Amino acid sequence: MALVGNIRDFGLSDFLYLVDRGDKTGGLYLSHGQETALLFFERGKLVMAVRRPEDQQPDLLVRLGLLSENQLARARASLAARGNGATLTEVILAENLAPREQLQGALQSFSEEAVYSLFGWPEGEFRFEQNQRPDPAAPTIPSPISVDHLIMEGSRRIDEMGRIKDRIPSTDLVVRFLDQPGVRIKGIKLSTEEWRVIARINGRDTLAEIAQKTNLKEFDVCRIVYGFLTAGLVEVVKKPVPMPLARGGPAEMSRVKRSLVNRIINRIKGM
Amino acid sequence: MQTVKMVISGAVNAGKTEFIRSISEIEVVSTERRATDDTRMIKKETTVAMDFGRIAIGPDLVLHLFGTPGQKRFDFMWEILSEGMLGLVILVDSTRPETFRETNRIIDFFISYRDTAYVIAANKQDRPNAWSPEELRLALRQPPHIKVLPCVASDRESVKNVLLELLYVIQERSEE
Repeated sequence: MALVGNIRDFGLSDFLYLVDRGDKTGGLYLSHGQETALLFFERGKLVMAVRRPEDQQPDLLVRLGLLSENQLARARASLAARGNGATLTEVILAENLAPREQLQGALQSFSEEAVYSLFGWPEGEFRFEQNQRPDPAAPTIPSPISVDHLIMEGSRRIDEMGRIKDRIPSTDLVVRFLDQPGVRIKGIKLSTEEWRVIARINGRDTLAEIAQKTNLKEFDVCRIVYGFLTAGLVEVVKKPVPMPLARGGPAEMSRVKRSLVNRIINRIKGM
Repeated sequence: MQTVKMVISGAVNAGKTEFIRSISEIEVVSTERRATDDTRMIKKETTVAMDFGRIAIGPDLVLHLFGTPGQKRFDFMWEILSEGMLGLVILVDSTRPETFRETNRIIDFFISYRDTAYVIAANKQDRPNAWSPEELRLALRQPPHIKVLPCVASDRESVKNVLLELLYVIQERSEE
């Protein structure tokens, strides 16, 4: 079943996060006015992203200077001969028609730029067709790329405070690391400014305090923390306020007797 | 007579009134008015104060169910309703991803101050294009230990299941 929505309401970074964490395979179709985009994922990693339908065609490899016309013709003939299961990229690598690093670098860069340009869309309909894969002749990236990196870099390129404010409504919020951020940090490259901010995250300081201590603008700190948030490294929370014990807090929960809960369970079961 | 309270919260049109109506022993007390703001686009009549339902557990014990108003301008009610609650059900309309951010805001509100036992009910699972509970978990960025349960708020058995799952969470945290 397709997942449908609008990136105005459920942002692209939110969707990429879902694809990553859910190890999703499928095609994400996006449209915004006359603009369109198509992204394919394999087990949560990006295998292809294009902004124009013609870029799904094999001749993209010629336009990117990766293959000559003759080499492409040879690769297509081999693909046809191999039959089901093979992809054009696999054929090119198997027959040494282009070095792997060159193919990876060019197609990765092409797809990444296509994705980054989408972060600027204020809105756009999306439809995710689960388990859909690119055409075997489509120019896919040899080694699928991590979505974490796309989220981080895409978020870096967002300069709209409005969108950031959706996640970080106030600079009075405290930033803290998630309990298990270790896996998420792999593969993420931080800029100098980001290191300065990450070094100041202690679970006690607010965004405003971090800005003060790093001599960065509050906006820049929010932008950086937004990137960390969307990559699942940190969370922002309200500064804890001491609550009167008489008005329901952890102490109140501890007073709940198991016998009382059991009575309610039995009653609900019997309804 | 001892009373205990559970709170049912969620964005506008998540199904809170229907959820309480499906399980309450009394006619649900709702304050419904014609919506005068942007919620009219979603619902002609929507809850602007709260819903109230009741289940008698025994001669000396009663469970109250409170549904929170969905609109942002009634946020102040949430804190009042959440005082002393036993647990919280967050209802999500699984067919409307545009409400997921608001749902996150509601979850943040309720769990930021209190160590609240809660579950998430992925409502409207009987509709086409409903996001599955696991997809909702990812969309709402909920950790694995938080229960995200399939739900059809108009179905009494489904509502019972959600309440029981919440009670099991509360049971684990209760004292002998």
